[in-house]
Amino acid sequence: MTAIRYADVNADVLRTLVRPKPAYYLLVIGFASALMLGALSLAIQIDVGLGLSGISHPVGWGVYITNFVFWIGIGHAGTLISAVFFLTRAPWRAPVYRAAEAMTVFAVMTAGLFPLIHVGRIWYAYWLIPYPNQRLLWVNFKSPLLWDVFAVTTYLTISITFFVIGLVPDIAAMRDNAKGLRKLIYTSLALGWNNSYQQWLHYARGYLLLAALATPLVFSVHSIVSWDFAMSLIPGWHTTIFAPYFVAGAIFSGLAMVLTIVIPMRAVFGMEKYVTPHVMQSMAKTILFTSIIVGYAYATEFFIAWYSGNPFERGIFYFRPFGEIGDLDPIAGKGQFNFAQWSFWTMVFCNVISPLPLWRYKIRTNVWALFLISILINIGMWFERFNIVVSSLQRDFNPANWGSYAFTIVEWGITIGSFGFFFTLFVLFARAMPIMALAEVKEGLEAPRRHPAQHH
Amino acid sequence: MGNDIQRRDFFKVLAATGAATAAVAGCADPPEKLIPYLVPPTNIEFVPGHPVEYATTCMECPAACGMVVKTREGRAIKAEGNPDHPGNAGALCVRGQASLQTLYNPARLASALVREGTTWKAVPWTQAETTLAERIRGLSDRRQLVYLTGNGAGTRGRFLDAWLAALGGAPKLVFEPLGQQNIKAANDQSFRRPEIPQYRIEQATFLLNFGSDFLETWLNPVRQARAFAAMHAIDDAKRSKGRFVHVGPHVSLTGANADQWVAIRPGSERILALALAREVLQRRGKSVSPPEAARLREYLAPYTLESAQDATGVAKDRIAQLAREFAGARSSLALAGGTLAASEAGTATQVAVNLLNHVAGNLGKTVHFGEAQQIDHGAPFSEVLALVKRMQAGAVQLLIVDGANPLHALPATAGFADALAKVPTVVSLSPAWDETTSKAHLVLPGLTFLESWGDAFPQKGVNALVQPVMAPVYPLKSVEDTLLAVARAAGATQFEKTATYYDYLRAAWAGVQKEVGNREAFDVFWRKALQAGGVFQQVSASGAVRLDLRVLAEPAPRGKLAGTGLVLLPTASLRHHDGRGARNPWLQEIPDPISQVVWDSWADIHPTTAKRLGIAHGQAIRVKSPYGEVETAAYLHYGVHEDAIAIPLGQGRTDSGRDADQRGVNVMTLLPAVHDPASGQFAFVTTRVSVEPLPHQAFLVQTDGSPRQLGRGIIQQMSLEQVAKGEAPAAGHGGEVAAAAAGAAGQSAAGTVHARAASFYPPRERTPGYHDPYRWGMSVDGDRCTGCSACVAACYAENNIPVVGKERVGLGREMSWLRIERFIEGRGEEYQTLLQPMFCQQCSNAGCEPVCPVYATYHNPEGLNAQVYNRCVGTRYCSNNCAYKVRRFNWFNYEFKSPLHLQLNPDVTVRSKGVMEKCTFCVQRIQHARLKADGEGRPIKDGEVQPACVQTCPTRALTFGNLADPASEVSRKSMRGEEARQKRVRQYEVLEELANLPAVTYQRRVRVTTEQEA
Repeated sequence: MTAIRYADVNADVLRTLVRPKPAYYLLVIGFASALMLGALSLAIQIDVGLGLSGISHPVGWGVYITNFVFWIGIGHAGTLISAVFFLTRAPWRAPVYRAAEAMTVFAVMTAGLFPLIHVGRIWYAYWLIPYPNQRLLWVNFKSPLLWDVFAVTTYLTISITFFVIGLVPDIAAMRDNAKGLRKLIYTSLALGWNNSYQQWLHYARGYLLLAALATPLVFSVHSIVSWDFAMSLIPGWHTTIFAPYFVAGAIFSGLAMVLTIVIPMRAVFGMEKYVTPHVMQSMAKTILFTSIIVGYAYATEFFIAWYSGNPFERGIFYFRPFGEIGDLDPIAGKGQFNFAQWSFWTMVFCNVISPLPLWRYKIRTNVWALFLISILINIGMWFERFNIVVSSLQRDFNPANWGSYAFTIVEWGITIGSFGFFFTLFVLFARAMPIMALAEVKEGLEAPRRHPAQHH
Repeated sequence: MGNDIQRRDFFKVLAATGAATAAVAGCADPPEKLIPYLVPPTNIEFVPGHPVEYATTCMECPAACGMVVKTREGRAIKAEGNPDHPGNAGALCVRGQASLQTLYNPARLASALVREGTTWKAVPWTQAETTLAERIRGLSDRRQLVYLTGNGAGTRGRFLDAWLAALGGAPKLVFEPLGQQNIKAANDQSFRRPEIPQYRIEQATFLLNFGSDFLETWLNPVRQARAFAAMHAIDDAKRSKGRFVHVGPHVSLTGANADQWVAIRPGSERILALALAREVLQRRGKSVSPPEAARLREYLAPYTLESAQDATGVAKDRIAQLAREFAGARSSLALAGGTLAASEAGTATQVAVNLLNHVAGNLGKTVHFGEAQQIDHGAPFSEVLALVKRMQAGAVQLLIVDGANPLHALPATAGFADALAKVPTVVSLSPAWDETTSKAHLVLPGLTFLESWGDAFPQKGVNALVQPVMAPVYPLKSVEDTLLAVARAAGATQFEKTATYYDYLRAAWAGVQKEVGNREAFDVFWRKALQAGGVFQQVSASGAVRLDLRVLAEPAPRGKLAGTGLVLLPTASLRHHDGRGARNPWLQEIPDPISQVVWDSWADIHPTTAKRLGIAHGQAIRVKSPYGEVETAAYLHYGVHEDAIAIPLGQGRTDSGRDADQRGVNVMTLLPAVHDPASGQFAFVTTRVSVEPLPHQAFLVQTDGSPRQLGRGIIQQMSLEQVAKGEAPAAGHGGEVAAAAAGAAGQSAAGTVHARAASFYPPRERTPGYHDPYRWGMSVDGDRCTGCSACVAACYAENNIPVVGKERVGLGREMSWLRIERFIEGRGEEYQTLLQPMFCQQCSNAGCEPVCPVYATYHNPEGLNAQVYNRCVGTRYCSNNCAYKVRRFNWFNYEFKSPLHLQLNPDVTVRSKGVMEKCTFCVQRIQHARLKADGEGRPIKDGEVQPACVQTCPTRALTFGNLADPASEVSRKSMRGEEARQKRVRQYEVLEELANLPAVTYQRRVRVTTEQEA
């Protein structure tokens, strides 16, 4: 690390912004095609009706809400790394926080699509916004869905602000090297940044303030999202543990997604110098920590269900791992171990079991192992949300209502489209903006001085 | 065919539906123009937006219930029972409610058709009439003209006789697949009274039923359901109730309402009845004269308990217990009938039951002759077979079929299809497409009963009129008017003074006027009769009959079931009857309450038998008899004898329109053309079938989520002793057996359900302006509800609920706002079926309301969970958070296939895709009553508002009204507050512990578990 100089940083990062190889275009086309598939699926669904999805009665929410919570969860790591770890002065955040923040913004944008996609009349979705109107209609502030509207828009606003502010000095650095049209664009985006002491002074203050402002959001957004469930009556949803459980899960999944993105990026852009084993094992430790919280939350849910003696709670927490309660006798004759149970055990394996190897230093610093575990966690966390959203609705209070859920091709299309949306934005960003925060990485390096070693 | 409504009619309808369509239009649909009436019709007092009601008589089955049809702007939108009719007293069954779909059926024919090779050509009506007349004139022998009709009731029967006489045709043949000839023949043998007596179920304290489905299709189900409730529902004041034991090889809705089911070997009902008669005679032969008793004792001597045990498979202790109860009851009644009592020994079974009723002294008391039920006009099956023979012999040149569908309703082995091919000219007068019509050469589609004139005399003293309630859906003529025109064209002179059937009917009713002793001018009498739906009188008859001992000399019947395998039990369907209801989409979509199956046939098999055969629930099976085979789905059902398999009648259509075709299987294809020689009635229970599992699951769609309620107390019951002691069941009520099953998951029955804690928040009624002066609520008496599903059909009709089809119901997307929930308790022969209506509970502290982000659902000041369709964005959060799951989401824009859309109630919005919908106690009816009350400057009276479900309930299980008024009926039935809670031991709220504070309270079913003191 001692060998890295400021100029190297500039060169290494800005190298990612030169004319890309054909493989890059293939990547963009691939992701954009996925996005188009999603758009097409959505268009068909809007035209024909939500009946094209597998959502039904009693399972009123399905893959769309699962995706919503999943992407909101992904969107947590960025702010955590950029704001919380900034405040706690965790130096390993510097090389990854730009990617994490970009991921946050794009993930929240992706998440924000799903509440629109899942409503029956998307063309009236704006009714959820309290705006003055002639009809004197107002929104219901008691509804957790409305809280969601505020929580998510606030979070998106702050994330974008924080993200853009962090970018300003780096854009200025790019402006200095760019020519032609690029120069023009970067100049306007750099907001007249001239690297002066005065500017840095205000910038640092502003950044600190924004970080402090963003920090509570890390905890509030997912808490509020969790209350969509916890404020309801449904057994399996109606739980006070949900807010911390969801926040931990969100950080868990977000960090896993950061790893999933950063590990290939590190290889492609040759940034091993910056994203060191130390950086990665620090993330791995945080993942391990949140994994334990998540596992504890799972266990608590089961304990409370048993301890409460509430037959509805017990019913759903028996159903999730084992299927139908008891022997429903020949008349029922339905399969005992269905998709709901598979999704539960997938969740337990991916989220509780698969991170356990991270206790070992060797695994924590092994890129391949980390990548594999991060993928497993992404899968596991998707299934966690699926499990919460769907299985609770499948087996609620009145057994006469019980039903099932199977997703359809349209839901697949839209889900794939959401990944397409997210990654299209991300790969475009990776070529247009510095993927590593130049200024902050430099802060961690020794300053280039003609006469070394004079500390103030 | 299909859409050719006249342009003028179309505009009329458009004006009426304007408001509805405008509301539907939403965002996606193109705008439509509203065209108002320029010149309103002058022949009726027409006020736009106000319904006009016509009294008529339901012709969906021979029971002929009184009906009041509500019309709006000239089209029928809702059928309700005629409260003045002594038979149904305001109620209708599920089929009666769905009769509107007979009227507006998409399979109806719109013009006269002539077959040309394999295709059909529409021809002008007069041309078709002329063709028919020419064919009649061209007959070398007029006796070769045969008229086969499905309806020979009342004046119509006489008219057809007159018509055939005028043209020289053979006597008419009334085709009725579910005939009652066994009863008539048995009563002829026993009492020399070949009639169907009036069974006074309401007077019995102990009812023993040999297999009849008297709550479903047999005789007069609505009337019988009312009588059954009077007999069986608990008297809360006296804390007593009658006991009902069902004896038979199969449990359908009727059996499910029994306190005890005695599973009996198929076809052995006669032996059991005779053994019971023997026992009863020994205990209580007082009503029998000594010489008669001696003769009877001699006759009954072989039918000992032991021999009965061997023959029936019922333990002799249980037979003795039944005999004890039957003899000891203050008033007893034994019934037998329906398809399952119709074996080759069907008449003998009826005779045996007659003997049982005789020795118990029930004749003239609970079995009453003299006010005979004239609801069976069908020719015996033997006569139908004779016709088939004649057709095969080429002795029938011209066959006119009207409202009968023998091609579907006769067993294939009867050979009707071949015989039909031998008839040179087949003319169909049926209003809608069916199998027989599709084989006709000439079709002159008639009108449904809701568009034509007629009458029915279902019992003495009940003279019911059928009148058209609207102009015909298609510009066609009634069958009778067509026949008159044809007769004239064929040169008959008898009808010169009869321009239309209306004149004929009036002339006939001049006779009725004389008979009932009315002295008014005929026009006055006629108008009054039309307004009332007929002339109804109390007939007093002694009802006494004497047993003719010669009956004991009748030869013992055949009726051994030959062959091997399971005995096939073809059951009449609550929804489709003998199949005539299969075409109505509501009847397909409303689940059978016991199996919860929709749009399909299924085969009930006992779980033990299924295990032996290696068959799982829902597995495809092949059922093979010597006469044919069908492929259907296995349904594991405790309520079927281990040696039997039961398949409902009526499905398996091949040519009856898209709603009926290819749904399920036609069980008649498995049966031989065998009849009871004593009566000529078709024998249903004759055949053993082999059952073979197929390797795949059948696509069987059931609407029940789980057959068990797992001790959750959704449907609760208590014993009569508990009621007598005035103690409510402890926590964990209801599912004692289920609680044991739940124990497998570590659940204990105790501590399952907690009494609801005091609320943190002030109650709604303390919110100013709320629940004042009205809070609408309902009481559901679980002890009265039989699960007949009439309320469900009424709800579909009143609230424009779309039908979604089998596949979508399979996904859980049925749209019914009101469903009959069914749970099973226990196992084996002692199992129980619990049934209960479930609909929006209109909670005071609802789960749905706070979670809606846009106030599309909110608590209205009168206590309704109002749903504002136009405001709904469709987040479905309300449905998720509803503990009762009674909200329905519009997954698509649903189609009301023409002309079904004409039935839409203009007072109720048709919902578009993406919107949540639900029950609001028929808020449009509340609104109507309010407008009326406001106009008269008074509050809404108790009972003035009746939601569709409440209105049609045959057993009055539902009570609706204002809970804010302590004097209202519903308040008296569902007391509020803690004190009342203790007083009213049967009362509970579903999922009370969730503190949703529903406005609907339920009264527990009361189970008579042991023998009851009479």
